[in-house]
Amino acid sequence: MRIQPAYVARRVAFAAATLLAAIVMNFLLPRLIAGNPAEMIASQTALGSPEVAEAIKKQFGLENDSLLYQFKQYLVQLAHGNLGISYFNYPTPVSQVLLHALPWTLGIVLISTLLSYAAGWLVGIRGALKPGTWFDNAALAVSFFINSVPYFWIGILLILLFGYKLDWFPMGQAFSVEYDSLSAAGKLRSISYHAVLPIVSLAIASLASHILVLRNNLSRALTEDYMVLARAKGLSSRRRTFQYGVRNAFLPSFTGFMLSLGHVVGGAITMEIVFSYPGIGMLTYNAILNHDYPLIQGAFLMIAASIIAVNLLADLIYPFIDPRVNLD
Amino acid sequence: MRNNRSKPRPRSGKAKLWAGACILLLFAAVSLAAAQIAPYPKNDIDFEPWLVPSAVHLLGTDSYGQDVFSQLVYGTRTSFLVGILAGLITTIIGVTVGVTAGFYRRWVSDALMFLVDLLLIIPIMALMIILASFLPSMGLTSIILVIGLLSWLYMARSIRSQTLSERQRGYVEAARVAGMSDGSIMRREILPNLYPIILANLVSVTTQAVLAEAGLSFLGIGDPKSVSWGTILALAHANNAIMYDAWWWIVPPGLATALFCFGFILIGNGSLERFRYKRGASQQ
Repeated sequence: MRIQPAYVARRVAFAAATLLAAIVMNFLLPRLIAGNPAEMIASQTALGSPEVAEAIKKQFGLENDSLLYQFKQYLVQLAHGNLGISYFNYPTPVSQVLLHALPWTLGIVLISTLLSYAAGWLVGIRGALKPGTWFDNAALAVSFFINSVPYFWIGILLILLFGYKLDWFPMGQAFSVEYDSLSAAGKLRSISYHAVLPIVSLAIASLASHILVLRNNLSRALTEDYMVLARAKGLSSRRRTFQYGVRNAFLPSFTGFMLSLGHVVGGAITMEIVFSYPGIGMLTYNAILNHDYPLIQGAFLMIAASIIAVNLLADLIYPFIDPRVNLD
Repeated sequence: MRNNRSKPRPRSGKAKLWAGACILLLFAAVSLAAAQIAPYPKNDIDFEPWLVPSAVHLLGTDSYGQDVFSQLVYGTRTSFLVGILAGLITTIIGVTVGVTAGFYRRWVSDALMFLVDLLLIIPIMALMIILASFLPSMGLTSIILVIGLLSWLYMARSIRSQTLSERQRGYVEAARVAGMSDGSIMRREILPNLYPIILANLVSVTTQAVLAEAGLSFLGIGDPKSVSWGTILALAHANNAIMYDAWWWIVPPGLATALFCFGFILIGNGSLERFRYKRGASQQ
């Protein structure tokens, strides 16, 4: 199968437009709400030195009142990877602080999304094939319950149970204190061991919507006319279910999978705080506490950009799963 | 032999509606009469910290020596208000944008939906954080507005796609021939047929609003003066409630949100069943 250039061009253009929207929001929102962007982005008191504050103001064109000029300067700085200087981590640039935190967040978000997707798939299929059984009802009840509680609450409960009471897993942090003295394998083990609870919490928290979506999709696919035809042709029930039903139920849920990433990242922000996990969420939390405005803005842009990138990747994989999208 | 494929008899949905209404009424009563129900005044710190639940303190006390049950009762008010009002704002915007964008297929509405598609990818939570942290002060009103004004994207999209299919139906054509204006076709003909999908969305945005408030409060950008289920959890976490094994401080606020949202889900499912029951199986 060959991927159509027109399709690729459309998806790339869409991703670029989304990124532009995120950048415009990131530029405009603080200016609309707070009034004086100079005070936010280059506060003399926060940066500790008037020279540095002046230099940043100049870089971002803040002495000029024209919004268009400021936006142009902002784009130029952005193209150079300059997001300003973090107040709290002075004199480290915002971009550097963010790049340190990003892998942690991406790691737990991606792994937990895949996990919860797989688990939700299995549970959803079983529920749709045997609707009304105790298993189906229990799965539905649990899904509705999970959808009704805050993400971070699930994390706190798991720490209370598996971290504090049973002492199976560490209660927080991404690696142990003696991390630096460990061998490469030891480091990997330490990181994995610490990542178990955050990943499982996020996976459970996002499990519910996957179960519900897959169960609905499959229930609908099972009532389609082609299922009746397949039955009339005398195909085995196994083949009907998996080749005809599950495959068709899977496709629409793939799009949901992409949309749900945004949700999971939102959940990961609070989940990281619960686990003191050193990702973007924890960073954002500290930035809010310290009124570190450049860092808050940078974190938003970083989150948006990574989600857009992952979405684009999923879009480009999609034609290999469902060749029909190439055509429209 | 039992035939699983046969359709079950349609349920009237009455029981679910009643149960859901009872739960929501309970929460409404608690938020209205919080001062009468809570055994101790709000933020009263007269007690010994870390007391386990007893007859005197139904849910124990926290690290400040506050009665957790009283805080929970006062927190109901905030969470209830935010959920209902933000959910309503979201629904009004979502329905208005969705129906008009679905009814008028002009470039304006297409451009609007394109923008919605773009924004849908960006995590709403991140957007709320940046808005909330740049606002000079966060009161209850700004929380409700931030949540209410940012959550309508998905709803607008789903209502628009339903409107697109409704406007092809014969009754819309008939209304147009009868000389009805666009506005009244949308309001009096299409809107009633969208009822199930609006309701399903209303339930989910209200639930989302309560959870978003909890999340923002947990991040420390909620209303610092008010007590909500989210702030209770934030304080519990910040004061190491886990290390003190203070489950009575951690578990109840989460269960409260679950019960509250459960009430909404019951009402949503119940009225969908009622809708189908009254209209017969032809409406899917």
